[in-house]
Amino acid sequence: MNATNEALATEGARTAEHVAVRPAIAPPVDVYENADGLLVIADLPGVAEQDLDVRIDKDHLLIEGRVGAPPEGTLLAADVRALDFRREFLVPRGIDAQKITATLTHGVLRVTLPRSASLKPRKIEVRAA
Amino acid sequence: MLTRWNEWDHGLRALEVLRRRMDRVWSEVAEERGAAPGVWPRVRLYDTGETLLVQAEVPGLAEKDLRVTLDEESLTIAGERKEEAPAGWSVHRQERAPLRFTRTLALPCKVDRDKVTATTRAGVLTITLSKSRDAQPRSITVIAA
Repeated sequence: MNATNEALATEGARTAEHVAVRPAIAPPVDVYENADGLLVIADLPGVAEQDLDVRIDKDHLLIEGRVGAPPEGTLLAADVRALDFRREFLVPRGIDAQKITATLTHGVLRVTLPRSASLKPRKIEVRAA
Repeated sequence: MLTRWNEWDHGLRALEVLRRRMDRVWSEVAEERGAAPGVWPRVRLYDTGETLLVQAEVPGLAEKDLRVTLDEESLTIAGERKEEAPAGWSVHRQERAPLRFTRTLALPCKVDRDKVTATTRAGVLTITLSKSRDAQPRSITVIAA
């Protein structure tokens, strides 16, 4: 019990560590797939092109967007604070990392991950012999 | 006996703190998943003194997809997000919000209906409303008597 009490007493001190990290939320995404590759669509409202970071590191796709400074004035009501966005995906094998493209329109990010040419499904012609 | 009760009390308090901490964990999990509990678009309302500023998160909507109407004390945002699911793709995951919406916000004070601007940028709709004269902050000169 004593240990618990001590832990509770120091709670205030320990929560301070959260302040150092810029909080981020995971944006909602849609993921589609077809024979040519994968398509990831993410809602990133408030993120400008220069504040968006889309990175691929080995088999991890990282999407990070920073929202601009809030307007001056007092916040009267909010459904959600204006938080940064961050989400990470594991990319399946066979994606050509060099050919990944991304576009941002009206706060919606679309990342296209094409499959490597050698791994695309291929139809084999059957010839009569 | 009295000490015993105190200890019991302490234990209860510890449980209470634990419960509150659990609540926080759940809300953090919900936040991390980007869960919007039923509201769309998500809105923020700022008071800048002479104006009210409304920010609505409307990713994927252009100016032409949005309708903003204003009454004396309420603001309505309506719109439709065009179907974006591409043809010929199979769906792995679909989390993005519904496509047709209307949301009415009660404004905290009367606003001037003729002085309204609405702009969109990066999927955020910003509406600037001028407070009506009665609602403007006023400074009162203090006179020595």
